[in-house]
Amino acid sequence: MTEMMIETRNLTKKYRGTRAVDALNLAIPRGEIYGFLGPNGAGKTTTIRMLLGLIKPDSGVVQIFGQDLRKDRLRILRRVGSLVEYPSYYGHLNAIENLETSRRILNVPKSRIDEVLHTVGLTKDAKRHVKGYSLGMKQRLGIASALLGSPELLILDEPTNGLDPSGILEIRELIKRMPQEQGITVLVSSHLLSEVEQMASSVGIVNQGRMIFQDTIPNLQRKAGSEIHIALSDAETAMITARELGCFPRLDQGKLVFKGIDNDQIARLVTALVDARHSIYRVEERRKSLEDLFLTMTGGGSSDAASADDTIASGAPRAAGLRREAAQ
Amino acid sequence: MTTWIAALRSERIKLGRSQIMLLTIIDPVLCAGVGLLSTVDNGEGAWFGLLLVMTLLHAMFFLPMMAGIFSAFVCRYEHAGGGWKQMMSLPVSRSALYLSKLLVVTGALALSQLLFFAAVLGVGLLKGFDLSQVPWNLFAVRMLGGFAACLPLAALQLFVSAMWSSFAAPLVLNMIFTVPNILVANSADFAPYYPWVQPMLVMMQAGGEYDFGGFTLPLLNLMITVGGSFAVFAAAGLAYFGRKPV
Repeated sequence: MTEMMIETRNLTKKYRGTRAVDALNLAIPRGEIYGFLGPNGAGKTTTIRMLLGLIKPDSGVVQIFGQDLRKDRLRILRRVGSLVEYPSYYGHLNAIENLETSRRILNVPKSRIDEVLHTVGLTKDAKRHVKGYSLGMKQRLGIASALLGSPELLILDEPTNGLDPSGILEIRELIKRMPQEQGITVLVSSHLLSEVEQMASSVGIVNQGRMIFQDTIPNLQRKAGSEIHIALSDAETAMITARELGCFPRLDQGKLVFKGIDNDQIARLVTALVDARHSIYRVEERRKSLEDLFLTMTGGGSSDAASADDTIASGAPRAAGLRREAAQ
Repeated sequence: MTTWIAALRSERIKLGRSQIMLLTIIDPVLCAGVGLLSTVDNGEGAWFGLLLVMTLLHAMFFLPMMAGIFSAFVCRYEHAGGGWKQMMSLPVSRSALYLSKLLVVTGALALSQLLFFAAVLGVGLLKGFDLSQVPWNLFAVRMLGGFAACLPLAALQLFVSAMWSSFAAPLVLNMIFTVPNILVANSADFAPYYPWVQPMLVMMQAGGEYDFGGFTLPLLNLMITVGGSFAVFAAAGLAYFGRKPV
């Protein structure tokens, strides 16, 4: 049984009747980089604010390090570093003074300030007023301040928001180093799957306040699955041929699309189709991208996969759609 | 206890090299001007006369205004830079954070009061008053009482400043309620409960037949009202801050 750093049970927060976070169950084991993924407004920041005790949940329990947040908030916060939404800073102070405001409360040695500034690469600009910083530098200062107390758990809310590509890369590399070098568990939220895929080891996907998927990244990739597309001269009569062989394709723009079909079946199918005088133009394997899977699950966009997959009818619950798809 | 001191020391950093403390100098300088231009003559009761003359501007206008400005100022950077989230994610209780801010405000007010006191003594000496004639007891009561009478207003303004994310709104509120001070002071019924006029009531009692309206109240009764309203406003502010969603 792995130790859970963060565990929530039925965490719920309502704003004016709508559930911003709806019975959310997070489970984040030690040493993971957990990607907390969801479109804007899915409830990620609201969840993170509840994890830190910045707002109170309407119902549900938050346990961090196995302790109840309501009872042991200060003891928990001592071991947590966080950056919520956009970086907090005092513009009239320089980076060192900004960190000093937190350092005095965290009661760590002064040398930690130099260390964290070095970690995020702000040593050169440490003596400049923060109001003159670029967004990327403010973001890095925010991360420095999250690291100041040598936390065991780092909670970063959209840490790459508003950064340029090199800034994103830098932050990502920084986050990836955390578990390896310092044994820190990281919760990082993002609305970009590609970003989470590149740094996280496990992932939780939320949409409209609900957790719709929570597993490791490899398992997510497995879920994406693959399809065989066959383009040929007369798709409709070919469908009959395929059915006779026990394969049930769907028709997509004059192509037959097979899911969960093995090599043997393909070989027999192609032979049968050739015998039936079909001209076969192309047999190809298409991996469904994670992006499509994400869009399908969150019901956003009108990608190929989302529109073609009739199991995800707009009225059906997304999670049910995912399970059905996975079962196929 | 140590975290409370840590919270206070953290506030100290945030004040930084800001110019806010200049306010505590402007007040005594202007009041000293009033004192120098006044016609209080050397003689019996000269020191007390001078105190009353200089107190008018200080207690009626500067003290309430500064209580509002300092309160708004200690919340300003948190509102502007998102500092509430950061502070409240640190291992320190919200009441410690709030009280350290209140302490900074009251500390600044105490400094103003001290500098004003120095200004009164300075003006008296310039006018050639005899330092040995200074009614120290009376002065001490007025200075300490005037400072104490600022505390309810400081607590109230800090409450409002923590609640409203605008820097200007609490100041406007404070201004609106400070301006009618001279009128409110006339009412013996209403004045004691009006936080903006309390410093003036305590500091400007002339004694005997010179007093009118709110100035006729016994000092002890006034201080009980002051203490009670401070407790109410501080508790309300703490209760709000403890639940403030950030």
